[in-house]
Amino acid sequence: MLPPRAGGGREAAAGAMRRRQERRDRALSAAVGALCRALPPPARPAPDTLRRARFDRPQATLDCWRLLYALLKQIHGSKWTESDAIDNQIRFVKLALWYHGYDRPELYQLPSDGSAGSRELLLAFSWLLHRHSLLEQLLARNRVKTGDETSVCTCEDDLPSSQKGTAEIALEYGPEDRVDVRYLQWLNGRLKFQWRSLHAQHQEQCKLLHKLLQLLESETMQLEAFLEWKQLEPVYWQWMETVLDNMAEEGKKCESRDAHVEKSRLPKATLCCPWADSLTGQIDRLSRDLMTFRDQLHKLVTRRKAAWCEKVKIREEELQKEGFSTAAKKIQESAELKLLDLTCLCAPTKNKMHGLCRLVFRSKHPASKTGFSSSVSKEPVSAVSATEVIRDLQMREASLERELKQLQEECRQRLDEIAEGLDGVICISP
Amino acid sequence: MSIVTVQLGQCGNQIGREVFNTICSDARGAHGLCSKKENESYHDTCKERFFFEEESEVPVARAVLVDMEPKVIGQTLSMAARSGCWKYDGHSHFCQKQGSGNNWANGYSVHGPRHKEAIMNLVQKEAEKCDRLSGFFTIMSMAGGTGSGLGAFVTQCLRDAFPTSFILNHVIWPYGTGEVIVQNYNSVLTLSHLYQSSDALLVHENDVIHKICAQLMNIKQISFRDVNQVIAHQLGSVFQPTYAGEGGLLYSRNPLGDLMETLVPHPEFKMLGLRNIPQMPENSLAYSTFTWPGLIKHLRQMLIANAKMEEGIDWQVRPPRLGSSIPSGCSTNKPLHFNTSIANLVILRGKDVHSVDLGSFWDPSLYTSWLNPQDAFHAWKTPRAFNKYEKSASLVSNSQFLLKPLDNVVGKAWNMFASKAYIHQYTKYGIEEEDFLDSFTALEQVISSYTIL
Repeated sequence: MLPPRAGGGREAAAGAMRRRQERRDRALSAAVGALCRALPPPARPAPDTLRRARFDRPQATLDCWRLLYALLKQIHGSKWTESDAIDNQIRFVKLALWYHGYDRPELYQLPSDGSAGSRELLLAFSWLLHRHSLLEQLLARNRVKTGDETSVCTCEDDLPSSQKGTAEIALEYGPEDRVDVRYLQWLNGRLKFQWRSLHAQHQEQCKLLHKLLQLLESETMQLEAFLEWKQLEPVYWQWMETVLDNMAEEGKKCESRDAHVEKSRLPKATLCCPWADSLTGQIDRLSRDLMTFRDQLHKLVTRRKAAWCEKVKIREEELQKEGFSTAAKKIQESAELKLLDLTCLCAPTKNKMHGLCRLVFRSKHPASKTGFSSSVSKEPVSAVSATEVIRDLQMREASLERELKQLQEECRQRLDEIAEGLDGVICISP
Repeated sequence: MSIVTVQLGQCGNQIGREVFNTICSDARGAHGLCSKKENESYHDTCKERFFFEEESEVPVARAVLVDMEPKVIGQTLSMAARSGCWKYDGHSHFCQKQGSGNNWANGYSVHGPRHKEAIMNLVQKEAEKCDRLSGFFTIMSMAGGTGSGLGAFVTQCLRDAFPTSFILNHVIWPYGTGEVIVQNYNSVLTLSHLYQSSDALLVHENDVIHKICAQLMNIKQISFRDVNQVIAHQLGSVFQPTYAGEGGLLYSRNPLGDLMETLVPHPEFKMLGLRNIPQMPENSLAYSTFTWPGLIKHLRQMLIANAKMEEGIDWQVRPPRLGSSIPSGCSTNKPLHFNTSIANLVILRGKDVHSVDLGSFWDPSLYTSWLNPQDAFHAWKTPRAFNKYEKSASLVSNSQFLLKPLDNVVGKAWNMFASKAYIHQYTKYGIEEEDFLDSFTALEQVISSYTIL
């Protein structure tokens, strides 16, 4: 059905307008209601207050002042009491708004008995709402504490939105819950002294670095000179060759002349090294001694072997009488131990590094190992890990301990033998 | 971590020489009772702290000698060189032809400024020789003329030239019945000036050391040398290397800084007293044995009862009971003669030092109310024995030890000042009555701070 034309159209338009108005009204009241409900309970106004303020009704003024007072007090995190007199509240609101940057003079000229100006206050309220995200701030502030939060920040600014009372320092609290200023002075003094120590350490570091740099510089110069030398080396050896040639020529010329001079050269040589004679004599003596020792060892070894074979035969006969397995086990164990010692001593120590090693802290990353296997390097950087060194040292320590025990046993036995030989002597071990 | 020693006046120079002697012979000695490695580490640390090593020569003490007369400095230099194990730098001294006649004002206002540049040049040279300067250690008497007046001025110059260094003043408190009439004036002026520039004042009282010599060391004719050797032993027991804190692997590299931080961070409380036990003649050492519990017990009671040595301790004095509702800052409820401490440092040297139980020093009733024992008490240890004592314990204490002597000196000085006696000697050289009044005020403030602990 089509809308009627002309005269009927105006009515329809008016009706549409009215309907739009009603929708707007409904939306507005929903919005205002939501706003009021979103504010925290102590500062929650009635939606009516805001509506009245829109029309600048004087009855709404006091409520509006109180609303602003409550909200601003909450933002600034301090406790507020309703019992504050109205002119105090008004003064506080004015100051707070000034602090936040609200510069409409009309508000500051409002009377301090709360008799007029609700529309101004509504304006200020809306400004706060928008400018300072009032709702968001208050909601964040008044969140219910579930007890599972903690802070890790260590800054000391006292922002209005931060919670007070999270003091990091364990201050000493007296009975009135205050800190003794002398303790703070004490802490301050300690801080100053620690700073001074740090300063001195820093200066030391600079001084030592400087020394190190100087040493490095001289070493660098030497190395540079060495490189230069390496470039120019052939020239030098060519030159030396000419020197040798010269000497050889002169030698040939003088050969015929200085036949007796040559002979006299020998005594000169001995004059230069008078110890040469004694040295050669010593060497001869040593070689003779070595030969005799070798023969003696040879004889000793053959004798020992024979005695050993004897022993083995006897032991075999004995063992066949007794239990064989236990004895064999014992013998095996002791042999293994001795073998272990020997292998340790004779094993090709692959990572035996002499001299100093540079300490490098490397994290154990398995990925890096795969990289190594594929690379081919002529001179692998010899590195050994601390755990390997520790293990080697522990093994060596164990074998040395065994050796020590063995030697102690031998000493004890020898002492016993000696002690038995002496009459009337008692040995007390330490 | 080197300490530069400034020896001021006759007193300072004689004591300084004994200190270096004691330290050097202790470091070289074979009575360490510890492993060879420990001994080497101790030796090296001590060397770096106090001596400058040149290639093939005897170690040179890091010291500047200052006196108005040449006689004492000459003696000091030659005696050191004769020892054969250390010496002073031949250039590192300053002296004039004539003395300052025991006049504090002359030393402070005339000689000080006149010779400031020369003296500070010497100090600067010594400081530059150090890889790391741990601070300055000045030795002087409080009541003399040169040592005190010039010493106060030099300390001020040190502070100006080295604002970030630690300065420890060792002051000799004069005999109560000393010969110098104006010694109390000198003491008051010295102390008040030092309090401004220095970080800490470590005090030795002549009367006390004299008694130790007489009663503990059994010396019949006590000479200055005996007194100085006791002082040197006590100072050595503080400054020789130690491990600060538990489980230290290396000797501390910041001796003065550590000392200051543990004892004197508060700017009003800078007076430190020193006690050391045991003290006995050297030839009795071999026949005596000590246990750590006994030593610790004696040391603690010496602290509480303000005893000067390990004989004649008043064992009746007990710390006050905690838990009673005594408001902070009220000292009238504390038992009389009880010595309240702000901070204490115990230094233990010798055999089995790791097993020592220092629990009795952690008692909160020993300390003032605004500091808990974790902040107030520290212990340094080393297994390396000191100066042939198998076990020795020292206590450096920031407490009411010096309250009474200070009060006495200030009181006597004030009485003299009230009648303006001998003031002209000072005004003649520029120390006016106002300066006196300022000094009195400053010291009264110190006395009051220590009283209301």
